[in-house]
Amino acid sequence: MKILRELLKITLFEPWPLWVGMLALTITNLYMFMFARALGVFPQMAMWGSWIYNLLGWQIESPFPPYPVKLPYLDQHSLLDLGIILGALSVALINREFKLRKENFLGYLMGAIGGFLMGLGTVLMPPCNVGGFWVATMAFSLSGPLAGIGLFIGAYIGGKILKTQVSKAVEIIDFNKAQKAEPVLSKKHSISTFLGFIFIISLLLISLIYYYYGMPVHAGLFLFGAFFGIIFQRSRICFVAAFREITISKDGKIMKWVLISIGISAIGFAILKSKGYQPYHMVFPAGWHNVLGGLIFGIGMVLAGGCGVGILVRSGEGYTRSWIAILTGMLTSGAWTGIYKHKVGEGWLYGSPVFLPEKLGWAGAFLVIFGFLFIFYLIITWLEGKKYEGN
Amino acid sequence: MKEIKVVKIDDSYYQVDMRGWMCPYPKYAIEKLIEKLPSQSCMDLLVDCPSATKDVPEVVKEKGLRVEKVILINDGEWCITICNY
Repeated sequence: MKILRELLKITLFEPWPLWVGMLALTITNLYMFMFARALGVFPQMAMWGSWIYNLLGWQIESPFPPYPVKLPYLDQHSLLDLGIILGALSVALINREFKLRKENFLGYLMGAIGGFLMGLGTVLMPPCNVGGFWVATMAFSLSGPLAGIGLFIGAYIGGKILKTQVSKAVEIIDFNKAQKAEPVLSKKHSISTFLGFIFIISLLLISLIYYYYGMPVHAGLFLFGAFFGIIFQRSRICFVAAFREITISKDGKIMKWVLISIGISAIGFAILKSKGYQPYHMVFPAGWHNVLGGLIFGIGMVLAGGCGVGILVRSGEGYTRSWIAILTGMLTSGAWTGIYKHKVGEGWLYGSPVFLPEKLGWAGAFLVIFGFLFIFYLIITWLEGKKYEGN
Repeated sequence: MKEIKVVKIDDSYYQVDMRGWMCPYPKYAIEKLIEKLPSQSCMDLLVDCPSATKDVPEVVKEKGLRVEKVILINDGEWCITICNY
């Protein structure tokens, strides 16, 4: 009983170390792939955008072919996203980490621009940071490493913008001119934890309802989403920080874990795919648009303060900037077929999907993916080393 | 531009309010803030993003300074106490 209580305390009430979170993500993603699909969150948000346009009278198709316009609560992919929001909200409440975080005009503007850039980036790349880089690379799609290059550069540009903004605000501070005031006192009482447990129970009830009405995949993906939300919230894993901090703070520890996780997952994906299980899952069109889309998405995710998954998790934590980013992100990507007149992956813009084992055999595919991971790892280590040069 | 509010709460003791600044802003601000902090002083940095409770102490320790404590003061708000002596 004591061990159980300790375990519950560590899982629910203490932040998880980075490696625990990354391992949990890796395992959950592999299990979800075996269950139905791997992690990816933006195409369904794009579908929400198209769905809203249709409600308003603009007859438009959603940009991603496997995600036709549906009522979001009847769409299994949308339930994955909703699960992420509610999972993050529940554990944020349990740990008293939820707060309605308001912004000033500039903050909302940054969220709106960030969401717009992510909406544009997701249809160009495709799809998002997590699906288009993390999962695509482990799924042996050539688009994954290419998107990574764009995301890396984009995150650097975005990070520079954030750093300049805050530097200006710090520059004008003068401690010697600070007025005397009373310190902010802490509040002991809160119903937050209690509310969190109610949300956890509701999560289970919602999935039971879907299961009861003959939609087990919906129920399952909703629960997997909640798991992802819990993992991301508790371990504070942020794929934006993974890319951004390599250059901005010369700190690559998150990205190194991301790369290790890709390596481990790739073996799992290889076993499943080589046996004929969903071989083309998460294999996206490959071409220059991966790099350009990644770059645009990369800038956007830093300004919005979260990639696709990040803005879902943060909206669950009460960040209003993320709410705005979700809104502009889905309205931008949802309008794609109206602007480009084709769906994602069709027409002049996109290359053909390249499933590496098909072109190079499994040995060649392993060489490309692990070679990429190894080179990326070396580049990070080299950049980290520069931090201490001149000190 | 949003403001970072600084007040004096005691002798050589300041409070820097960065609530409303999402991550990674506090992480990027802390390096310059500790440079500006008068010598033999402490500051309470108020933040409201969870990651800052991990990021900020990391940078502070890297700079060779002490993090006295990190405490939850309200739902979603933390106080990180940093001293330069």
